[in-house]
Amino acid sequence: MPFPRSTAASLFVAGMSGTIERFTNENLAGKLLDIGVRPGSRLRIVRKGPFGSCWYVKIDRHCVALRRRELACILIK
Amino acid sequence: MANSDFTSPPLTAPVVGLVGNPNSGKSSLFNLLTGLRQRIGNFPGVTVEKKSGTLTIDDLPPVELVDFPGAYSCYPTSLDERLVVQELTNPKGDLFPDAILYVADVTKLDKHLLLFTQLRDLDLPMILVLNMADLIDETGLQVDIPLLSEKLGVPVVTVSAREGRGVAELKQAIGDLLRDPQAFRPGEPFYEPGAPARDVLADLRQALPARNDYHALLLTHHASWLRHVPEKLRHRVQEARVKNGFHSLRAQVEETMERYDTFEPIVKKAVRHAGDKESLSDKLDGVLAHHLFGPVIFIALMLFLFQALFAWSGWPMDGIEWFFGQLGGGVRATLPEGWLADLLVDGIIAGLGGVLVFVPQIAILFLFITILEEVGYMARAAYLFDSIMQRFGLNGRSVVALISGHACAIPAIMSTRTIANWKERLLTILVTPLTSCSARIPVYVILISFAVPDGSFAGFGYQGLAFAGLYFLGILAAMASAWLFKFVLKTGERSFLMLELPDYRTPVWRNVGLTVWQKVKTFIVEAGQVILFISIVLWGLSSYGPPSQMAEAEVRAEQVITANNLSGDDADDVLAGEKLEASYAGHIGKFIEPVIRPLGYDWKIGIALFASFAAREVFVGTMATIYSVGSAGDDGLRVRDRMAEEVNPVTGQAVYNPATAWSLLVFYVFAMMCMSTLAVTKRETGGWKWPIIQFTFMTVLAYVSAMGVYQLLT
Repeated sequence: MPFPRSTAASLFVAGMSGTIERFTNENLAGKLLDIGVRPGSRLRIVRKGPFGSCWYVKIDRHCVALRRRELACILIK
Repeated sequence: MANSDFTSPPLTAPVVGLVGNPNSGKSSLFNLLTGLRQRIGNFPGVTVEKKSGTLTIDDLPPVELVDFPGAYSCYPTSLDERLVVQELTNPKGDLFPDAILYVADVTKLDKHLLLFTQLRDLDLPMILVLNMADLIDETGLQVDIPLLSEKLGVPVVTVSAREGRGVAELKQAIGDLLRDPQAFRPGEPFYEPGAPARDVLADLRQALPARNDYHALLLTHHASWLRHVPEKLRHRVQEARVKNGFHSLRAQVEETMERYDTFEPIVKKAVRHAGDKESLSDKLDGVLAHHLFGPVIFIALMLFLFQALFAWSGWPMDGIEWFFGQLGGGVRATLPEGWLADLLVDGIIAGLGGVLVFVPQIAILFLFITILEEVGYMARAAYLFDSIMQRFGLNGRSVVALISGHACAIPAIMSTRTIANWKERLLTILVTPLTSCSARIPVYVILISFAVPDGSFAGFGYQGLAFAGLYFLGILAAMASAWLFKFVLKTGERSFLMLELPDYRTPVWRNVGLTVWQKVKTFIVEAGQVILFISIVLWGLSSYGPPSQMAEAEVRAEQVITANNLSGDDADDVLAGEKLEASYAGHIGKFIEPVIRPLGYDWKIGIALFASFAAREVFVGTMATIYSVGSAGDDGLRVRDRMAEEVNPVTGQAVYNPATAWSLLVFYVFAMMCMSTLAVTKRETGGWKWPIIQFTFMTVLAYVSAMGVYQLLT
């Protein structure tokens, strides 16, 4: 199921995917870019972690664990 | 690039740096290249573990291969990464490499080339090593090596650190590069500093000791913390940054994006993926990282780990114990009776044997932890528990430290360097020593036998359950303390998870073996030294005392012996007991006895407690020393049996009753009794403040809880 329009990645449930448009926080952007998360990457939310605030995310072909706050600064189109 | 200060490195002792992203298989390659010829030290000024080894290539002088910590880019977030940037931007440093082996995972080339292009622009002679070449065949991945080499402008070598393929080619390439580094210098840079940095660079370019523009740019970004930038220059850089409105973060993002744009097309052209089908790793994570099964499996795994720890270590421990028994008997038989034999047998052999007996358990513990790390499970554990850890003010990565802490707090504290947030890192450092490290095992083993009766319930031994309980108590205390400290410590810094979850892999046994061997060796050498020293000092303190008092003690013993008509061993015991009480150690024990009496300890335990503050594992050795002194000549009995015989002269009851044993156990769970850990905390936190706080809170916690337990049980 595609994301409807440009929205923060934290708003979506497991199984949804889309393409990263941009980041809304420079501080986090620098770190995300370093680990290979960048505009144009394909992002898919694989599953929610136990006890809440942590997500298992697939970016292109690689798996990354991100907190809700970190996902919130990723805009998906 | 306008630079002229590049000179050919002298080939007397070439340094080759191994650099790459975390999880690129860098350490595997290092182990493959150097095997057992590794040296472990520290990078200058920091406790980041520095591994180096010697590499021989044909006719070249021996090459020093330095394994740098994994890093994602030249914009570090953790201490490990900072070190890489620091050493690679300091051409005058001892560790500045003559050449770099840049290790990249062939399946993640689209991410791993970021740091590569940055280092390339620093004008460092490089070889790109594509690791995990075994996957090229396995997964149908196709890589056009000549194209990569041409586009990136460096030699490209494929190796499989796992299967040991490609080493000869790699050595050949290193040799070629060292012989003629000029031929390997880059042509065009991948990135030219863009608009946000142009003004500040024009201002600073002449002032900075930089090899080229990119080097100058990195110095501008990082001058505030780079150790090799002098104070004056730091101010100069800061002024220029403000004057020209240089925004470090924005410039970093701009640079990174541009770099990706440059190398992404190259990777797309050179690497073909076989398709995007669900891998085995994804399927495994469907279960292992499941929000319900994941934590359950984790706990089951830990239970299995500790069960195995005791089930598997039985016979090697018996063997070691037997060996030291024989050794002591042999020495006793060979040497003439006297102080030398006493010192060797009662002091040194008893002390060493008491600790070496636990090497099998320590080895098994490290084996498990290393395997979990190698297969990639630790990252999952961090993911699974991040949410919980956050509530306690910790980070998911703290799980790794808290698990490793069960082997030894020292590497565990060092592993916190991957936590970028200072508060989370500090909390982890403070509470990790509360987890029951392997040095507590000997203490637990002996004391549990007094605290808990033999027997079993539903297949679980009571003593085993008590053991598990103590471990659990340690974890509980660690979490509770973290939660309390969370409210005391304040920080404005943001906290991150952003954790890579690498594909699962079968462990490379060479790596596992080497790691376990190194850790065990360190334990034996370091703990051995402390124990040797303490055994000798303690033996001296307990054999000698103020001469007049020692003489009095002999007289008193004589009276008791004649009055009760004792002879043989009993008479020896009485004499030795009186002498121990009069000795210097006895004085120390008596001195602290009033403080520890409410905890149910006598002055002999006081001596052991006192000695344990250097390193808790000396408890058993100290007991051995104290009780051997108590009955010289009769060495058929082991420490445990001797302790069981110990009777309180006032009440006539056994000294090691369950209440005292439990009180001691709780004390040893909580107390900060390890100088080495305090030293590491000091180095990692940069001062005495935190080690002192750590020591105080743990010791107070130990004292109060042990007293509570004793008063409750009596």
